[in-house]
Amino acid sequence: MPKRTPSNPWTKPAGKPIEGKAIPRPRRTAEVQAYLPEFLRGMAITMRHFFKNTKEMMLGQKPDPVLEALNEGVTTICYPEEKRPYPERFRGLHRLTLRDDGSPRCVACLCCSTACPAQCIHIEAGEYAEGDKRRGYERYPKTFVIDELRCIFCGFCVEACPCDAIRMDTGIHATPYDSREQFIYRKDLLMEFTGRDGSRTSANPRHEPGDPTHPGLSREQMDH
Amino acid sequence: MSAVEIVLSVVKVLIMLLFFLNMAALCTWADRRQGAMVQDRVGPNRAVVHLPNMLARGIVLLPPALFGVLAIFSSLGALAGRAAAERFTVNVQLAILVGWFSLLVLCAKVRSGGAINKAEEMFADVDPRSFFFAGLGVHALGLVAGRLVPPASMPLAAQVSGFVLGGVFLIVALYATSRVPDGPIPLRLAGTLHAIADSIKMIWKEDFIPKNADRILHGLAPMLAVFSAIAVMAVVPFGPDLCFTDGNRNGTFDFSDLGNLVATVPASGACNGFLVKMQIIDLNVGILYIFGIAGTGIIGAAIAGWASDNKFALLGGLRASSQMVSYEVAMGLSLVGLFLVYGSVRMSDMAVWQGANAWGVFVQPLGFILFLTALCAETKRVPFDQPEGESEIVAGYFLEYSGFKWGMFMTGEYIELAFSSALLVALFFGGYSLPFLHADGITIAFGDTMLFQYKMTHLAVSIISALAFFGKTIFVTWVQIFFRWTLPRFRYDQLMKLGWTKLLPLAIANMMVTGVVVLALRNAGPAADSWLKLLADITQGFVAVATLAGFVALVVGLLEPVERKKFLASSAARFAAAMGGVKPEPQQA
Ligand code: SF4
Ligand code: SF4
Repeated sequence: MPKRTPSNPWTKPAGKPIEGKAIPRPRRTAEVQAYLPEFLRGMAITMRHFFKNTKEMMLGQKPDPVLEALNEGVTTICYPEEKRPYPERFRGLHRLTLRDDGSPRCVACLCCSTACPAQCIHIEAGEYAEGDKRRGYERYPKTFVIDELRCIFCGFCVEACPCDAIRMDTGIHATPYDSREQFIYRKDLLMEFTGRDGSRTSANPRHEPGDPTHPGLSREQMDH
Repeated sequence: MSAVEIVLSVVKVLIMLLFFLNMAALCTWADRRQGAMVQDRVGPNRAVVHLPNMLARGIVLLPPALFGVLAIFSSLGALAGRAAAERFTVNVQLAILVGWFSLLVLCAKVRSGGAINKAEEMFADVDPRSFFFAGLGVHALGLVAGRLVPPASMPLAAQVSGFVLGGVFLIVALYATSRVPDGPIPLRLAGTLHAIADSIKMIWKEDFIPKNADRILHGLAPMLAVFSAIAVMAVVPFGPDLCFTDGNRNGTFDFSDLGNLVATVPASGACNGFLVKMQIIDLNVGILYIFGIAGTGIIGAAIAGWASDNKFALLGGLRASSQMVSYEVAMGLSLVGLFLVYGSVRMSDMAVWQGANAWGVFVQPLGFILFLTALCAETKRVPFDQPEGESEIVAGYFLEYSGFKWGMFMTGEYIELAFSSALLVALFFGGYSLPFLHADGITIAFGDTMLFQYKMTHLAVSIISALAFFGKTIFVTWVQIFFRWTLPRFRYDQLMKLGWTKLLPLAIANMMVTGVVVLALRNAGPAADSWLKLLADITQGFVAVATLAGFVALVVGLLEPVERKKFLASSAARFAAAMGGVKPEPQQA
């Protein structure tokens, strides 16, 4: 004998009919079954609405719904011609902030690519050339690629970055392109973007290594 | 085939192709716009071009001014006989039409945008209907005036009326230009530009092909879909045969004969010169060709579904092919009754029969309903759009298509819609024929009693007939688009049941009954024939009266001003009213 399934309180008690409102079955009269009279009635209703609305629009008693949508105070906006103001902390496309000398602030620590849940950041770290005052102290990104099509705009990369080198304050949202390759943003493009204030540098400057104000080690202090 | 025949064929192909392509673009627009107007919501047709002011003024000024100048110049030469009378009538009627229509437009502009000068303020309170009624009255007066002019002074009257028409056009052009507001003009054309914007977008969009898709078949499918939609146009006649005389008497039809359209043809339409059919090709298998080619439309959908490597697409393709195969049967059989009545499957014969007797929809009402149903299923439109069923299988067989290939599917679908309307017109709504319009002019006769006769030239009759065909097609397309906004989708099993257990037996029954009736009537003798002829004329009269009445009712209904009463709907509003407050809008809290 098959085991009885235990009753699930969320569906229906075993062995009892479902309680609830009985919905009357539609009457199957010949008129309903023939479909055509109801079809004509339906057409009459839609046509009546069509003519009523068209007429009120034509006579100027009601604005054209398309044109009305362009007026002030209407929720629908005419998008490419006008844009909604984005909130202050809107996360747009990424940018890489620059130092004063125009090099990226990024030190290729891979924090952002590690934090990224969509795994859409690819960084190849490079060492500075021999003699550069930053060599041995920090690295730089040889390549820095973000696949903006995979990005979910969570902002974790911005949070993760210890140098404020990656920011999402461009105010640009993902642009439609006609192929997937175009959504791959590389280092030079990311460095081109400015913040909404128009600056390429960070709004939150930190002390550069070698600055007298830099709290950490500099190369000179290192030889002890 | 001589050179002139080849050129004429190309011209005919171009006419059909351009008409249906434009109809496809217009249908995408109308589909959305009608939905928006039915539901009183914002439609998506918002594409806009900002025209520089001078350009906008030029567009408003040039076409009517050109027509005006053309009217004046073409009236400089003298005409004689029936051509002069016809020219006079056309000129007068056109002038009246342009007159009342411009006044109506002006009235609407004043009502919606305010008057700009003293004269216009008068329009603000005028009931727009009065323009229409006055216009109709003047139209009738114009016809009467045409009868009053003595035949001797007809050439002069034709010239004068031509000058008047030109003058009316010029005035309208100048005044409309002066009313163009300053600054760049946003050109929307009621949203029709959106179709252009969409197609431009589709061309540039990425053409995405799934990794495991069959690349060749994936690319081939949309072409097949469009091909079958376009190829079927070939056999539909869009106008009566044109008759040319042999001007240079060399016995062959060449380019110099193209100018020698005969002035008049007898009522029988007989022609002893060269016939040019307004039909790309007049196959003797006619409608069978349409069935054959339209049937290959399945291949496009089925291949698209199979080649996309997607289960939803495959389901859609399967649904499309089984649905189209099933309905092909009912569609073919529902027309057999019609063939029995017409006694031919040649499309041009059908049009001629309907012009001479009654429209197909009156002789085969059941066949019409069955055919319409099957046709809707063939074009895969609501309520038979299971192959696409958005709520079940996303987009069905073209799910994995993007960019222009998707656009080709859509174009094909809308061409099919327009073409199915053309087919309905050709088979059931008289083709290019109009009630009481015969090859030699208008003859209103019931049975043997002649009521009214008005002779027209061959050219005028041909132009009116061709326009009638395209106009009817547009109208039927418009009605078909309404199906989509009215009917919910059937379930798939309901669809199959409808096809096999309702349409098919009904079609067979219709066929048999028609066969018996046709046989009985053939052997019934001349008395029955004359009764049938009278009945046929009565249906023609019914169509004519219904069309006129419908048109007048439509215009009057559209022009009737709506008085909006402000009413308080919500309880909060009633409460506020009781407290002596006033709320401007019922929605306001
Ligand atoms: S916003 Fe989120 S998903 Fe996008 S790159 Fe940064 S961490 Fe990755
Ligand atoms: S952007 Fe910031 S977190 Fe990412 S690698 Fe560069 S320094 Fe590290």
